[in-house]
Amino acid sequence: MPKYVMVIDVERCIGCMACVIACKKENNIPEKYFRTRVVEEVRGEFPNLRMELRSELCNHCENAPCIDACPTRASHRAKDGTVQIDRKKCVGCKACILACPYDARYSHPDGFADKCTFCDHRIKEGRDPACVETCLGKSRIFGDLDDPKSEVFQILKKHDSSVRLEFAGTNPRVFYIKKKFVGELS
Amino acid sequence: MIELSITGTNAITYPYLEVWDWRIIIYLFLGGLSAGMLVMCSIANLRIPKTDVEELAQCVRAPFVAFISLIIGAIFIFLDLGKPIHSIWLYLTFQPLSLMSWGSWGVPVVLITNALYILAVIPKDKRHLLKFNSLIKLAEMAAIRMRSIAKLNFVLGVFLGIYTGVLLSSFAAIPLWNNATLPILFLTSALSSGAAMVVIIANKSEIKFLFTKIDIWLIVAELIVILLFFYGLYTSTAPYKRAIQPFFSLTSEHFIFTIALISIFLLLPLALRIKLGELKEFEGGFHGEFTKAQIFRMNFAASLVLAGTFILRAAIVYAGQLTKLSAY
Amino acid sequence: MTVSRRDFLKIAAVTGGIAVAGTPVIKSVLALGKKPVPLAQYVPTTCEMCFWRCGVIAKVVDGKVVKLDGNPLHPNSRGKLCARGHGGIGLLYDADRLKTPLINTGKRGEGKFKKASWDEALGYVADKMQKIKDQYGAESIALLTHGTISTYFLHLLQAFGSPNFAMPSFALCRGARGVAFEVTYGEDVGNPERLDIQNSKVIVLIGSHLGENAHNSQCQEFAEAVSKGAEVIVVDPRFSTAAGKAKYWLPIKPATDLALLLAWINVIINEESYDKDYVNKYTVGFKDVVHEIRNYTPEWAQKETEIPASLIVETARIMGKNKPNVLIHPGRHTAWYSDNVQRQRAVAILTALLGAYGRPGGIYLNPKKKLEPVFLSEKDYPEPQKPSINKGKYPFAGEEGITHAIVQTTLTEDPYPVKGWFITGTNIMKAMPNQRDTLQALQKLDLLVAVDMMPYDGVMLADVVLPECTYLERHDDLFTVKERAFGISFRQPVVQPMYDTKPGWWIAKELGKRLGLAEHFQWNSLEDFLKIKCDTWGIDYSELVKKGYMSFPETEKPYITPDNQPIFKTSSDKIELYSKELKEKGFDPVPKYTKHEQPPDGWFRLIYGRAPVHTFSRTINNTSLSELMDENVAWVNAEVAKRYGLKSGKYIVLINQDGVKSNRVKIKVTERIRPDCIYVVHGFGATSKLLHRAYLKGADDQQLITKYAIDPISGSVGMRVNFVKIAKEF
Repeated sequence: MPKYVMVIDVERCIGCMACVIACKKENNIPEKYFRTRVVEEVRGEFPNLRMELRSELCNHCENAPCIDACPTRASHRAKDGTVQIDRKKCVGCKACILACPYDARYSHPDGFADKCTFCDHRIKEGRDPACVETCLGKSRIFGDLDDPKSEVFQILKKHDSSVRLEFAGTNPRVFYIKKKFVGELS
Repeated sequence: MIELSITGTNAITYPYLEVWDWRIIIYLFLGGLSAGMLVMCSIANLRIPKTDVEELAQCVRAPFVAFISLIIGAIFIFLDLGKPIHSIWLYLTFQPLSLMSWGSWGVPVVLITNALYILAVIPKDKRHLLKFNSLIKLAEMAAIRMRSIAKLNFVLGVFLGIYTGVLLSSFAAIPLWNNATLPILFLTSALSSGAAMVVIIANKSEIKFLFTKIDIWLIVAELIVILLFFYGLYTSTAPYKRAIQPFFSLTSEHFIFTIALISIFLLLPLALRIKLGELKEFEGGFHGEFTKAQIFRMNFAASLVLAGTFILRAAIVYAGQLTKLSAY
Repeated sequence: MTVSRRDFLKIAAVTGGIAVAGTPVIKSVLALGKKPVPLAQYVPTTCEMCFWRCGVIAKVVDGKVVKLDGNPLHPNSRGKLCARGHGGIGLLYDADRLKTPLINTGKRGEGKFKKASWDEALGYVADKMQKIKDQYGAESIALLTHGTISTYFLHLLQAFGSPNFAMPSFALCRGARGVAFEVTYGEDVGNPERLDIQNSKVIVLIGSHLGENAHNSQCQEFAEAVSKGAEVIVVDPRFSTAAGKAKYWLPIKPATDLALLLAWINVIINEESYDKDYVNKYTVGFKDVVHEIRNYTPEWAQKETEIPASLIVETARIMGKNKPNVLIHPGRHTAWYSDNVQRQRAVAILTALLGAYGRPGGIYLNPKKKLEPVFLSEKDYPEPQKPSINKGKYPFAGEEGITHAIVQTTLTEDPYPVKGWFITGTNIMKAMPNQRDTLQALQKLDLLVAVDMMPYDGVMLADVVLPECTYLERHDDLFTVKERAFGISFRQPVVQPMYDTKPGWWIAKELGKRLGLAEHFQWNSLEDFLKIKCDTWGIDYSELVKKGYMSFPETEKPYITPDNQPIFKTSSDKIELYSKELKEKGFDPVPKYTKHEQPPDGWFRLIYGRAPVHTFSRTINNTSLSELMDENVAWVNAEVAKRYGLKSGKYIVLINQDGVKSNRVKIKVTERIRPDCIYVVHGFGATSKLLHRAYLKGADDQQLITKYAIDPISGSVGMRVNFVKIAKEF
């Protein structure tokens, strides 16, 4: 089983929001629903300010609380190692939406729970997820961490990384790297 | 000052979770009520040593109300499902780590044993009202095993009363719910509401008084558990401290939760007070019938308990969805 | 129990019915019976969600466009699209699109439209145009235009005999920068700007919020440079996204940017950190600059800009230390105050002093490709009888024309009346300041024609509305792309035009036919013309159709090398630090600082900008994009907000110095802006009821820009001269 991960280089994100909408178009997501988002955090007081821009999505956790919570096995780990939802089995109980600490899921208007699939239909064809492909800043990097030749392997070997809500014990597969502290003040 | 701007949020999870609403709360209440009543019936049944079945005819309405409660509650959660037509998949697998799975298997089992119990306690002379021969035969068979069925009902009642608490506590993402006290709180309040309901529907004064006394213990337990619940969260880490803030908020936004907490701590002790008052009156022992006023007071105290239970569940479900594990 | 035949049939019918009715349910539950997935077609074309014009590959399934992706061959997109690019689908399938020609049956500007056929509408327009020509002369028809539709309507207008056209892009946007760089280097920096950002060691953004204006390839290179460790210096009264990546954010007092630039030049010259060899070899007028800037010390600049002198020196030293790989962003929208050209001249001069023009990390050289000009028609345009009025009296007005010259001439009828306006591809109410002037000018017209895709505010004022189809549904002229290498980008229909819309070239041609100008439109369809053009240029048309972009990599010569010497088309053949041209026309040959008016107490300067998910007012109704941002917000400094007792999320109204009240707008209480200004994203506050998603959402900054300065050199306007105060919502 490959180990697909996404690495997000926070320094490179310029907040263009292309990923948010590319994902929607690629996966035919209905209006007002999103599978990924961009967070802009600014801290400090004028004129000493710091900004971080980062994208967030389903972390395809290794210890996924959503899979545990699902009564029908609709939420499951697929053969390629990613966490997927089998729509035909989902009853829409929404336990998984409550179980996810990352707000990765939402209730699709057709009744089932929905979330980022790491564009598994594209991975199959050897292509990057839509958000990764369109990222103007090349902030999103995707690949198989078990492949030592992959870009994700190289990057995570070279740089420190963190994950969201590490203490929650979910073992996410989306890593955030910050190569240097940018946004130093004037 | 932290300025947060997020593009691409879903209304169901941001800025607050809005996943479970009044439909779930009604189920939690009715389910808890049903669970409590089942346990109370079993107690009533089991504590009376091997008396003739006839004398227990009084207990037909209680399991029946429990049954109807659970059915109605189940209808509400069924309505809450996004794709109810896929329900069959719930029964094509069992997920031991998913309390939803436990519940979806468990509720039908509870309903079945509940029905069996009803059949078991139908008095011999009323059995013909069942119409169908197969049912009558079933009732006869059940009556023979009545005490075993009662024991089963007790266990399943406890399961029904506690599993929803375990379900809510299984979500690490919801700090208000994610603790070991919540299942105990739900069980206690379920039992209390069950006892209160029995008080209200019971015709025989002795039953009314018996369960009023039982409920006193349960209310005391419930109040203690609520205090432990809040204290436990207060002394836990940041997300948990944040989680109880709505209950102590004086701003208009979350004031309703403060009101809810105050109500619970008014209604329950008030009910307690009334019940204790009743108890004092009969310190010397109980003789004969109750007066209308006394019956009214017992019923009134019981309704306060029901109201308190409902408010408790509603407040916990809504307040829980206000605070997340993450900071925003 | 026995079952009779009737019962059997009844039961069978019911069971059969249930089976049939239940089958889709069963199928959906068990996911049986999957339909075969139709094959997708991939059609390359060129985007026009903004004017970067990236290469796009459209994925079409069953006649519907389902996805748009960047064309990896196109240097503006490099295989990626910004949010607007992806939102092209939202434009294509917007139910609020103009669907048929419309004719106004009410008073001028009333917008009481009735549907009309193309014949009727075009006939009406041609008729009126002819009447105006007979009575006043062809010159009395003016054209305000933007985008690719300009090609056809400029052609039509000039064939008709009028020289009076204007594109908002000059006076209202990048005209001043163009003039500044033309008089300094002999040519503009290009569109897209020829910035070698990915190799810059220092990037100076003065009045540029790169990242929030999502210029695709420029953003890609910016992120790349930041990642490689480039030092970013951002000069902006607002803490922009770029400032978030910057080592230095200089929250400059608005309208004092020229002081900072001159002080930087002062420091770099005094500390001799300029590129001496480069200056000696390629420039003239250095001594004059030395003389002119002698008093513009950092200490002086500190008083003007409120930026500490030490910081001014420090940032200047960083530039000097890293020359020539320093990029001073030349700017794009530079229509700020009355000295736009002089301010951009300072940018041009600073660039030259650092030796960055023609060097890595600076401004790279133009790829040269000699292509024979191919006109839409070989037939000459008739000579206009009257002098053109579209350049006003501005000696350096661009060939694109000056929008306010047309408005003013229409209002004053001096030197002659202008009686007809065509507005094609531009929303005049949002593009042009002083909306009152525009509305008054409209009342003087005999004919107002709008050609556009959506019922924007300006379009609603027209007598006749002609619906153009979107860029996904039409051919357009070939685009010559002068990035590092020269290239040609192609646009072809991805789907057929929806409703009764037509491409701009068809509309111009049909109108031309009715005006007796058929000889100027000899080709049948634009595709025929494109094939002729490709033939003339020796390009394989079918290659373009297949790939969407054709590159000429041999033209990539971005840097000055011994055998690639730059050519400066100035009078001295060198970079003119001292501009003889400006001097000859009576302007300062080296920029001098002018103090601009500052807002009085209790007032705030209104400043505006862009959002990465929108293109001015063009996209505010777009389904895909408005769900990312459906209204603009007013950025108010946190201290100021506290004084007024305002919290984020509350709605306020802005009132300007002329008493004009804005639409209600949400307030954003923030530390990210100076206390003396209020910022909004431009383009919101639509007044057109037919834009259902955008109607009255947010505030219209242009409505509050009732006053505007004019740069006497170029005619470019200054739109940052309005002051507003905050009023609580009533």
